[in-house]
Amino acid sequence: MNALPEIELRSALEARGISRRQFVKFCSTMVATLALPPRYLHAVVKALDQTTRPVLVWLEFQDCAGNSESMLRSGYPSVGDFVLELLSWEYHELIMAGAGKRAEETLERVMRDHKGEYIAVIEGSIPMAEDGVHCTIGGKTALDIATRVCSNAAINIAVGACAWDGGIVRASPNPTGAVGLAEAVPGIKNLVNLGGCPHNPANTAAVLVHYLTFHDLPALDQYHRPLFAYGDIIHDQCERRAHYDAGRYVEEWGDEGHRKGWCLYKMGCKGPEATYNCPTVRWNEGTSWPVKAGHGCIACASPRFWDTKSPFYDRLPKVPGFGVDVLAEEIGWGGTAAVGIAMLAQVAGNIVRDKTRAKNVRAEENPPPDLNAGGSA
Amino acid sequence: MKKTQRTAGTDASWKNPVPGQVRVYVWEWPVRFSHWVMVITIISLSITGYYMHAPYVVARGRTAYVMGTMRFIHLVSGFAFMAAILIRMYWFLFANRWSRWNQYIPTTRKRLANLVAVGKYYAFMAWSPVRYIGHNPMAGAAYAVVYAMALVEILTGLVLFSQIVGSRVLLFLVGWIPRFIDIQWIREIHFFIMFGFWMFFIHHIYTAILVSVEEENGLMDSIFSGYKFVPKAELLRDPAVEEMRPDGEAAPVTSDLEQEKHTVA
Repeated sequence: MNALPEIELRSALEARGISRRQFVKFCSTMVATLALPPRYLHAVVKALDQTTRPVLVWLEFQDCAGNSESMLRSGYPSVGDFVLELLSWEYHELIMAGAGKRAEETLERVMRDHKGEYIAVIEGSIPMAEDGVHCTIGGKTALDIATRVCSNAAINIAVGACAWDGGIVRASPNPTGAVGLAEAVPGIKNLVNLGGCPHNPANTAAVLVHYLTFHDLPALDQYHRPLFAYGDIIHDQCERRAHYDAGRYVEEWGDEGHRKGWCLYKMGCKGPEATYNCPTVRWNEGTSWPVKAGHGCIACASPRFWDTKSPFYDRLPKVPGFGVDVLAEEIGWGGTAAVGIAMLAQVAGNIVRDKTRAKNVRAEENPPPDLNAGGSA
Repeated sequence: MKKTQRTAGTDASWKNPVPGQVRVYVWEWPVRFSHWVMVITIISLSITGYYMHAPYVVARGRTAYVMGTMRFIHLVSGFAFMAAILIRMYWFLFANRWSRWNQYIPTTRKRLANLVAVGKYYAFMAWSPVRYIGHNPMAGAAYAVVYAMALVEILTGLVLFSQIVGSRVLLFLVGWIPRFIDIQWIREIHFFIMFGFWMFFIHHIYTAILVSVEEENGLMDSIFSGYKFVPKAELLRDPAVEEMRPDGEAAPVTSDLEQEKHTVA
């Protein structure tokens, strides 16, 4: 196996016909996504100019390849530029030409030749049940591969809900015992979780640019998610927020409010409890995002969202133990009515008791509250 | 309901008890103040909180700010409610014997026995209620549950508030909670307990009227003025005092001095 050619990014871009203008435009988009002040643009351009193409391996485990698809539809830069120029993607099952033994050899070579230098991107959850036999590649379990690849990488990026915390694979009842990367490989270093179903490629690109520029990870929250992308509540950035504050809501799909773009709160939108930069970065080259398109947020970037944020079309979770589809509201109203009825029954019972007391209780057992009882004390 | 047995004299008023009765200062001002703040805030919190769950008013006009106003009232009421609970918590430790903490959590066997006796009365298994100047053990226990609900409501409310303000102090205090219970379930609990308050609200007004009628000691007035009118003998034989002595067989005798303290000449 021949070693990788060391090509400077600048010359590689020029060879591909990407103009300087396009390159700087990409850099400024990244600076904006990272919420850095504009004066950092120069630093980013300079760093990316001088960098040799970093090596990247993309592992897929229990996934739907949705995050790869999301990356392929990335607008900044287009995926062709991204794959071929900005990074040297050595291993990615979905898009690489090689297969079988040749492909596995590439992964081994990267781990050997670029130990501690390459970037590992992980997509999909890792099964832990029955020694991880539910996901094996080339006879090795996902857990084995992840442990080996991630412990030798410079940085590890878990893209999508599955790689972060198990995602839909881990949702109840979780037959494969799937977990996210951080749980599967405890003590993993330089981990960035990019939750979301799928992840937004703009954020992944921004994390990479930040790493290439500053040789460090961006500021992370308690879930190892970059704060620039997961630090703000969707509700606070939403373009329908004014309708929420005013009190104008979509009551059903396709009604007047829906056509006028009113707030989707009553349709079960989880924007008020979700954090993500969806409303600002958006998707498909900044065209739109779910709430703008008229569908409520399902909080796909929140921890364990399949379990915790469902039902997606109701405000609050269903109450367990009360059969199917019983809302807290129904139980609450029922309980309140029951107490009211019990109190009315008490009134009736007390009237009967007061009427019959004199007949049944002898005078000495039921002394009337005597005005002079205290006199002798 | 039963006919009134006790008749007031012609010159009787809230300041002049009937001969043989004494006017007892039962509910001190922190008790009454926190009570009424809680009443007002629970009503306003329920109305605005229910709106925030399911907005039932559709806004008209271009300058409407219905949800914004509801949220503002909810937050202000929430902090007033917290203040009232804090005052009451403090007063649990320093109040007179009728509103101290041990009137709410039964700590002695005697009080537990009386709790059963009160339960029997409510279940129509006894003819007459046990007469108390302060809270009977069951009422006290019910209020303890209500205070527990209030604390859960405050905690969940603060968690939800911390999500929108992001204050460092608040996140330090309650920020760890959403890691164990998802924010949606915090919201569910916060919403669900509201109905607990509604159930209590109905029950509370009913029993207040019932006891007021049965015991004829001015219970309804007492939450406004603080005073109850009780026969002298009852003040000397207050079950609340009896219950505080785990070994006490004989009825305790309160001193004249204490009696004077609670009596306005």
